[in-house]
Amino acid sequence: MTARLASAFLLLVLLAAWEAWCRLGGVPALIVPAPSAVFATLWSEIATGRLWPHLRITATEMALGLALGCAVGLGIGILLAEAGFLRRLLHPYIVASQVVPKLALGPLFIVWFGFGMTPTVVITALICFFPLMENTLTGLAQVDPARRELFRMLGASRLQTLLRLKLPSALPVILAGLRVAVVLALVGAVVGEFIGGRAGLGASIIAAQSVMDSSLMFALFIVITLLGMVFYQAALLTERLLLRHHLKG
Amino acid sequence: MSIEPATDGFVAIDGASFRYGTEPPIVDRVDWAIPRGAFHCLVGRSGSGKTTLLKLAAGLLAPDRGSVRIDGSALTGPGSRIGFVFQQPTLLDWLSVLDNVLLPVSLKRRPAAQDRDEARALLERVGLGAFGERHPGQLSGGQQSRVAVARALITQPDLLLLDEPFAALDALTREELQDDLLALCALHATTVLFVTHDITEAVYLADRVAIMAASRLHHDMPIDLPRPRRREMRYGQPFNALCRALRQAMDEAP
Ligand SMILES: Nc1ncnc2c1ncn2[C@@H]1O[C@H](COP(=O)(O)OP(=O)(O)O)[C@@H](O)[C@H]1O
Ligand SMILES: [Mg+2]
Repeated sequence: MTARLASAFLLLVLLAAWEAWCRLGGVPALIVPAPSAVFATLWSEIATGRLWPHLRITATEMALGLALGCAVGLGIGILLAEAGFLRRLLHPYIVASQVVPKLALGPLFIVWFGFGMTPTVVITALICFFPLMENTLTGLAQVDPARRELFRMLGASRLQTLLRLKLPSALPVILAGLRVAVVLALVGAVVGEFIGGRAGLGASIIAAQSVMDSSLMFALFIVITLLGMVFYQAALLTERLLLRHHLKG
Repeated sequence: MSIEPATDGFVAIDGASFRYGTEPPIVDRVDWAIPRGAFHCLVGRSGSGKTTLLKLAAGLLAPDRGSVRIDGSALTGPGSRIGFVFQQPTLLDWLSVLDNVLLPVSLKRRPAAQDRDEARALLERVGLGAFGERHPGQLSGGQQSRVAVARALITQPDLLLLDEPFAALDALTREELQDDLLALCALHATTVLFVTHDITEAVYLADRVAIMAASRLHHDMPIDLPRPRRREMRYGQPFNALCRALRQAMDEAP
């Protein structure tokens, strides 16, 4: 509790220092706007209702990309973990595909899918896919051999072993991958909009930049940060709920 | 008790050998018979191949040579007639204690109310009646071992195999669990093969104790203490004489 109070207090101190620096140091508002100006802009964006459609679009892209990327990542992770032949065949390609900077594919996706949400969702999904697949593979490979033997002793089928032993055992590792994916999904959605978005928080930043409105850009940074924190907290909450009975380690 | 020829036992192990890969055999030409309803113990130093022999009896491993037969038919793999208690409790921490006990049933079919009642009754018998809704992480090591024993017994196996199940427990808890195990096995006349490295445990539990050393079965010794076994027996002269004899036999084994 004291630690939280101290953190909040530190934030106030930093904001005050920033404000003082802008006012006393004569920093041009175009380079670094004062916090008071940023909050005024943020408030007017909220009050006029201009912010909400953009927030909704970015949150939707993030959620869709995350859901799609995680579902495919989980599915492929399971497939590769269960079929050793496929794993040896495909894993080098999947790793190679991750070295390709996916954001660089943005312009190509605009050609394929047109402007709008689709290319951004696809980029986000591609970015989220890897941590989920990798962690699913790792988690499924780490199942305690004694428990495997127990399931063999109990005559469990392969599907039963997967669903009732391997996936629950791997859940902590898989959910750690989800947490990484959430952070990456925000990057994917915002930067995806930089490239091909017409609307959304990332597209708004580009629009603000074109009119040199630094305080709007800072206001959007704040909104993006808060959005990321909401998603991250949701991931943490999911994790705590699903793992409440899992032992540590 | 007379020495049964290998072919007559409920469990009949005939000349069974097993090696992991190309190493020397870990189980070497073992012959052993366990009559129906008998309680046999296997003692030996760690690394002598006890666990491997137990896995052969469970059907988790197949012998390279020789055979393992249960009730006259050759063992081809693990089956629901055999219960196995591992050295570690190996409970599933995301399931409740009751669901852990029901695991062998729920892998076969959806557990009925009757199965749940049976699981509760078993938990009651191992002194965990009030713990069914808890999770394994909330239990002590001894309580977890009790759950593992209850889980092995829920399908009422004809044969129960245990691999040093109480080795990690303190002496008092171990003695309690030994009494619980004897009572539960007497209930359905379960045939038991119990692996341990503890001489007093073997003498207290068994009708017969075999010694394993360097992959081979060396010596077996009948234990003619009356049943049911009682705690006071541990301090009696016959019990101590048997422990001493067993110890001596182990020292003589290579
Ligand atoms: N999966 C395995 N692969 C190779 N060697 C093994 C394996 N399991 C056990 N062994 C070897 O077999 C020997 C006997 O092991 P084990 O049957 O576990 O003995 P015990 O239960 O009496 O301690 C040990 O020397 C061990 O190194
Ligand atoms: Mg062992």
